[in-house]
Amino acid sequence: MKLHRLAAAAAAAVMLTGCGGEQQTSQYTMFAMDTCVTLSGCCDRQTLENAGKEITRLEKLWSVNIKGSDIYRLDHEGSAKLSDETAELLRYSLSISERTDGALDPTVFPLLKEWGFTTDEHHVPDSERISELLKNTGWQRLKLDGNRASLPEGMAVDTGAVAKGYAADIIAEKLRADGVSAGIIDLGGNVLTFGEKPDGSSWKISVRDPFGKGTAGTLSLGECSVVTSGSYERCFEQDGIRYHHIIDPATGRPADSGLESVTVIADESRLCDALSTALFVMGEDKAFDFWRESRDFEMIMITSDKRLLISEGIADKFEQSRKGTSYTAEVISR
Amino acid sequence: MTAKKAAVIALCTALAAAAACIMMLCRPHGDIVLIKQDGRVIYTLDLSKEKDREIVVEYKGRKNVIAIENGEIYMKEADCPDHVCIHTGRLSGGAPIICLPNRLVIEYADRSTDAAAG
Repeated sequence: MKLHRLAAAAAAAVMLTGCGGEQQTSQYTMFAMDTCVTLSGCCDRQTLENAGKEITRLEKLWSVNIKGSDIYRLDHEGSAKLSDETAELLRYSLSISERTDGALDPTVFPLLKEWGFTTDEHHVPDSERISELLKNTGWQRLKLDGNRASLPEGMAVDTGAVAKGYAADIIAEKLRADGVSAGIIDLGGNVLTFGEKPDGSSWKISVRDPFGKGTAGTLSLGECSVVTSGSYERCFEQDGIRYHHIIDPATGRPADSGLESVTVIADESRLCDALSTALFVMGEDKAFDFWRESRDFEMIMITSDKRLLISEGIADKFEQSRKGTSYTAEVISR
Repeated sequence: MTAKKAAVIALCTALAAAAACIMMLCRPHGDIVLIKQDGRVIYTLDLSKEKDREIVVEYKGRKNVIAIENGEIYMKEADCPDHVCIHTGRLSGGAPIICLPNRLVIEYADRSTDAAAG
């Protein structure tokens, strides 16, 4: 057992090379929110374990599957009094729905379920079934009055497209409040760094190559969050066609926008998480128009025809990988 | 042994050692791989020294078979429904191999980046 602990500590030391002075470096891995969570920080392991408990607590409020969770009650009873965190999460989610003109829609959940992305029992629904279910969607119909939320009958919400990002922001805040000077919160590839890396260098975050097993490149950044939505996650194949889990709220089908992945870089993880999904749905042209109108994020898009599009604000911080898939890189300007 | 011969041998040894060091430094990442279950390291393997073999890991009655072949590691079998871990293929510099249902993670101990998005 001791050896195991040592090995884990050694791995953590590599990730956060020395926290300066006498400070300890720790790493903690757990499974929550349907993913593998890794917390690393300049602190003892107990501090990270406590943060882990907070993630589990949030999961119990937000999960669509845990009986009695805020979202479960809302989905099953049509109306529910929510905890502050859940009300804020929904309010935030709706603000992004509005900002993206519905490209992000938490009420698309019945379709996600129908396609089997929530249970891994995948199937392709027929058009009639899709149109029928689409009648029961629409973010404007989710009403939020203080901490009370209500939905028309037959509708259901899922906060899956923002919950991990929102949780990462809350955990970062908690760790800072606990006196942790720097760390990395990684919720299954939703990454948030905070503080200054102890050796003074920038944080290095790789972006996955959607066509291969390696990375498309590496970002060198100060404290920020990086979240990728990709068609390679949660997908299945039927009759030679690949179906992925990012449902276009307009069609009720996996978004067919010519993209393989969208990576969003911003200060807040909640924004990265929500926008990576919404921009994936929008597709290249609309997404870059949206970026031109905004000032709070940067992005990298990988298209199905192997182009790598990068917004100019982040271009000099991204180094393309020399191995693996070769992409034609284009810097998109304002 | 003449002094000259000894000097040549010493020089060759030093050169070989230096070459070995440079080779080690130039590698994209180390060969040390960690297999973690439920957040705990259950195996620490040096892929450069491992012979081809299979490792069976069990979790709550479910089984994963991890294979090491020619210095590479991959998930050969898993009795989970989605088989994401098997589809990940051989472990590379990018994302770790993860079997979520069986709480298993295979990753390099020494990564050149701090985290991987995606």
